Amino acid sequence: MAESPITIRAEIGASVWKILATPGAAVGEEEPILILESMKMEIPVVAPHDGVVVEILVAEGQQVEEGQAVATFRR
Amino acid sequence: MTWQPELDELRAREAEARKLGGADKIARQHAGGRLTVRERIEGVVDPGSFHEVGAIAGQAEYAPDGTLKRLTPSNCVMGRAQVDGRPVVVVGDDFTVRGGSADATIREKPIMAERMAHDLRLPIIRIIEGSGGGGSVKTIETTGRANLPGGVGGTQLYHYTGANLSVVPVVGLGLGSVAGLGAARLAASHYSVMTKETSAMFVAGPPVVKRLGEDLTKQELGGWEIQTKAGAVDHAVESEAEAFDCARRFLSYLPASVHALPPVTTPTDDPARREEKLFTHIPRDRRRVYQMRPIINAVVDQGSFFEMGRMFGRSIITGLARLNGKPVALMASDPFFYGGSWTADACAKIIRFVDLAETFHLPVVYLQDCPGFMVGLAAEKAATIRLGVRAMAAVNQTTVPWCTMIIRNAFGVAGVVHQPANRYSPRYAWLSARWGSLPLEGGIEAAYAADMAEAEDPAAKLAEIEERLNRLRSPFRTAEAFWVEEIIDPRDTRRLLCEFADLAWPLLTPAPSGLRMRP
Repeated sequence: MAESPITIRAEIGASVWKILATPGAAVGEEEPILILESMKMEIPVVAPHDGVVVEILVAEGQQVEEGQAVATFRR
Repeated sequence: MTWQPELDELRAREAEARKLGGADKIARQHAGGRLTVRERIEGVVDPGSFHEVGAIAGQAEYAPDGTLKRLTPSNCVMGRAQVDGRPVVVVGDDFTVRGGSADATIREKPIMAERMAHDLRLPIIRIIEGSGGGGSVKTIETTGRANLPGGVGGTQLYHYTGANLSVVPVVGLGLGSVAGLGAARLAASHYSVMTKETSAMFVAGPPVVKRLGEDLTKQELGGWEIQTKAGAVDHAVESEAEAFDCARRFLSYLPASVHALPPVTTPTDDPARREEKLFTHIPRDRRRVYQMRPIINAVVDQGSFFEMGRMFGRSIITGLARLNGKPVALMASDPFFYGGSWTADACAKIIRFVDLAETFHLPVVYLQDCPGFMVGLAAEKAATIRLGVRAMAAVNQTTVPWCTMIIRNAFGVAGVVHQPANRYSPRYAWLSARWGSLPLEGGIEAAYAADMAEAEDPAAKLAEIEERLNRLRSPFRTAEAFWVEEIIDPRDTRRLLCEFADLAWPLLTPAPSGLRMRP
């Protein structure tokens, strides 16, 4: 049963360091979809549960704000 | 001869009061997914323990022969009760009577509840729904005059709303629309909880805000996502039953008042328990983050960590816990948020948290991984350094015992504030600890500007200097100079923290702190 996609948001203001998953990729719970960089640390943005990446909404090097949508995801 | 007629009248009036605002209003309350004030009080206190004060206060209607037709109770229900066998004061707004508004409160009832808690030295649980302030604008018509906030004799409630924070534990539960003085009484607590779907808190609700051009729903204006991230409310839960559990659990760590020590429970966990995973938990790659909460849960008494304010100032985790049965205030960095650096919000959170610890004689444990204050333009605009030095002062003003574990980073001024500056406090560095005035990244460019300018290949020069400095900054070189007193195997953390709690306990004094806590 496909559910409607959920929005995954950056929990901090940061720059997008590396995008790890492409649209359509299956990602397990707690696995990173992309990695932000803040205060010289790599901060993963992880899947809330097993599922599939629908869309990546940001590009590497881009600045994101706290609360900004970075990807959509469905179970 | 008996006083039966009078007893009958007393019981009849009490029965009237228990009808609250009437069957229709109660049905509406339930239809909205919310309990009535009496159901809430029964839910939060030990069964059958509620002793009500002022039950029959209200507005009466009489028949021409002088008999009572109907008694509409005051919409403030209050009294004494027990939580886990310990006495408390509980005061609740009745939304079924005039929407919890103050015009039906009888001003002295909530004041007496607050005064009773203050003078009997008992925790107070405020169950809040409605405005509870000067009343709606309708009161201008019903009283024939406008109300000066506070006015003459009306400041007592405002006095206790804040002053009780320095005397007794104050819990606020926001269980519906909470505005005005209701919002103030919720925010002016040591620990506040709201329900996710059924409550919202704001200074003034959507109709007032709409006149200023903001067209928002209650949830959009003051729902849990707004208020817990803003730090105005500490926690949000799915149901009222969960809110009651939170209130009870919070109180379980605290003394009844500042005139007593926190309650020690029989230890249920081995104080020397070693968790193998602590040896591998911190990545060797310093750019990689790790989860702090598993560390907390591994070192405190199992299941005892009670987090408060999770959604606010998230680079710092704060909560209550037990070590060998003894309650402590625990704060820890969360590297997932700005690498654990102290943002302005995190500093505000720390101030309120260490004030709580100081007020109620809770020893403090700090698991530190702090690369410094948050930097950058946004951080400067947020006055991070102002909040930062306030946090520093708050830490230094504590007198409770303090223990620090440096888990990884300790950099800069925020790194200094890992223990109070004015007394001996046990401190340990994990094997993964690293420190300095400034991180090398950026720090080299600042300190070796001349060398860099002269270099033919600045990048190579940078790498060369970095390698040179890295060789020197092993924590063992710091320890050999006794610039840090102890480096430990992280698996010994729990044993050392339990020893700290045991050593701390005889040092605590059940007397009010010189600190007067602000909300």
